[in-house]
Amino acid sequence: MTAVVVVTTPPRPSLLRRVARLAPYILLTPGLLWLLYFFIWPLAQMTLMSLSSGTLDSGFHVTGTLKSFSDALTKFGTQWGNSLIFGGTSTILDFLIGFPVAYTIAFKGGRYKNLLLFMVIAPFFTSFLIRTISWQILLGDEGPVLAFLKHTLGILPVDFSILYSPVAVVSGLTYNFLPFMILPMYVALEKIDFRLLEAAGDLYGSSWQTFRRVTFPLALPGVFAGTILTFIPAMGDYVNAELLGSPKTRMIGNVIQGRFMQSTDYPSASALSLLLMLGILVAVAIYARALGTEELTG
Amino acid sequence: MTSRQSENPVPATSDATELSRRRFLQGSVLVGFSAFLAACTGSTPSVSAVPASINIPTAPPVSLTPSAPPTPLPSPTGPLKFANWPAYIDLVGSAGTNGVYAKGSSPTIEQFKKKYGVDVDYVEAIEDNKTFYAKIQAQLQAGTPTGWDLIVITDWLAAKVISKGWAEPIIPADVPNAVANLVDSLKNRPWDADNAYHYPWQSGMTGIGYNKKSLKAAGIADPTSLAHLWAIKSDKVSFLTESRDTFGLGLLKLGKSADPATTTSDDLQAVHDDIKPLVNAGLIFADNSYLNNFASKKTWAAMVWSGDLASSGSADDVFQVPDEGVMIWTDNMVIPKGAANKYTAELMINFVYDPKIAAQIEDYVFYVCPVKGADLEIKKIDAAAATNPLIFPPADVQAKFHNFQFLSTDLETSLDSLYLDLTGG
Repeated sequence: MTAVVVVTTPPRPSLLRRVARLAPYILLTPGLLWLLYFFIWPLAQMTLMSLSSGTLDSGFHVTGTLKSFSDALTKFGTQWGNSLIFGGTSTILDFLIGFPVAYTIAFKGGRYKNLLLFMVIAPFFTSFLIRTISWQILLGDEGPVLAFLKHTLGILPVDFSILYSPVAVVSGLTYNFLPFMILPMYVALEKIDFRLLEAAGDLYGSSWQTFRRVTFPLALPGVFAGTILTFIPAMGDYVNAELLGSPKTRMIGNVIQGRFMQSTDYPSASALSLLLMLGILVAVAIYARALGTEELTG
Repeated sequence: MTSRQSENPVPATSDATELSRRRFLQGSVLVGFSAFLAACTGSTPSVSAVPASINIPTAPPVSLTPSAPPTPLPSPTGPLKFANWPAYIDLVGSAGTNGVYAKGSSPTIEQFKKKYGVDVDYVEAIEDNKTFYAKIQAQLQAGTPTGWDLIVITDWLAAKVISKGWAEPIIPADVPNAVANLVDSLKNRPWDADNAYHYPWQSGMTGIGYNKKSLKAAGIADPTSLAHLWAIKSDKVSFLTESRDTFGLGLLKLGKSADPATTTSDDLQAVHDDIKPLVNAGLIFADNSYLNNFASKKTWAAMVWSGDLASSGSADDVFQVPDEGVMIWTDNMVIPKGAANKYTAELMINFVYDPKIAAQIEDYVFYVCPVKGADLEIKKIDAAAATNPLIFPPADVQAKFHNFQFLSTDLETSLDSLYLDLTGG
């Protein structure tokens, strides 16, 4: 008997199925390439640059020196401090201003919700720079606010000045980043199931208790996102300190800008940028831990 | 449209609106000058007094082939990308008021466009040399185009860009007006002796500017010296973001020479230590933004560039040559390597060296004119301007000129770090 040898080939997966298996990777590719080219690669470049020495004219060479880092940590105490204080203050102010706004729009906005939200965002259709320069006029010594308080009401001395002071810088930062605080908080508040608040009422919770024990905890993810979105750019900002501040109110962003654009000391600028990134990462990690991450991810 | 069809210069329009900003002049320039009639003779300032002992970069040899057979003239291409400083060309209408270039707002640019049938993208892209250099340096280094066809940069930076071979050679045959009309005092600059790579745009002085009204209201006498400027309430004063200007005047204030050949790092340190207390008391550093600050009364007095107050300031803004001396500098037109419209850029250089066009620009910007014959032309459109000490500085002012442009590498490094320390950046 001759054996019939049946050659079985393993079933070939159809083209469609192979594509389906690769689909996640194919879909991720543009994003990954983007990240690789515009984030990972510059980050690596920046790290190498921070370990280099040289000048723009003679070229920079990686020498492994840590001088830029020690300079960055020791020379700019005032500016690091300013960043932390101005960025922190404006974040807190944004929260204090933004939460009532977000709350009102979410719960009392009714049919004006969209209009109110639009009004929050409307000024931001204008360029960031123009808006900041406008604050120079608003806060000017003879600007609309101070002139009124000085001459019409006479409650301020004639040489009272806000522009180019820390107050001006914090005002600018607070104004410029306010929507980044309001919008995430609005989203979080808006999706709260109103029946939960009714239930709290049914259980004899006063309105304050309901707010403190139900509404606010449910809004926390929005508060977290809002403060992060405000604090990070405010901390690294240099435009407000440049246009509304004086040499005494410079923030770390100004130092980085000065090293890059004025003295073309790229190693120092890179080291400062890396340290700023690291600092913010650590701060955010601590903040997330403190707020409780499981609440944030819902 | 191929052009060069007309060799006749475009007639300067005599439209009165173009000259409307002249009215600011009367209040602005007479203070501090007495004997400037000498300027009528067309004598020009000697602004290139640079001691030979400073290491001034020199231009690479031009690698042109002059023996090449005459080729047909290229036709202008566009749009010409022209980077310049704020309020540094004749502007009219609301653009003149706002100091912003808008299409149709500069007669010179419009006449150029019409004459050569080519578009011009004129951008006020330069607010200080360092920042602009940082933006284009990477492309120049990599040998890729900067996106600009014509840039206007101050002496020290022009010298640097040219010495590195980052400028396109300017073919003399393409710029006959410039060859013929460049004032003698600006010829033979050590860093580009035969103008192979640059032609001056404007020269200017750095001195004291103040708002008469603000100072009067505060009961402060008009400052005539740097010592006076230092004594004004610091939070009402601004110095310049251009570190060479601020430190140059700082040296003069301390009675030092402001001569790069003899200045030491210790001198700069002394200037720094002299200015630091003012910073602690609220002094700020400004570029052309001092114009806005004068208007908003934020600043009463400042270090300023000579033409700005007359061209864009109010009638109460005054330029003053300090007793101690005044800084002189020149901004130069340079065609950066790889410019896409090099020939058009040359046409522009040639165009603005037509004395009529130069007069038209001068009558708006009020800087020191590098074009021979402009004083005669300006007489036809604005008699007062022809004797304007800002445009044609008299001999006694010229005697006070100091040039603090070309610094040794060491001096430049210490200037940079001292300046950054002052500005808090």
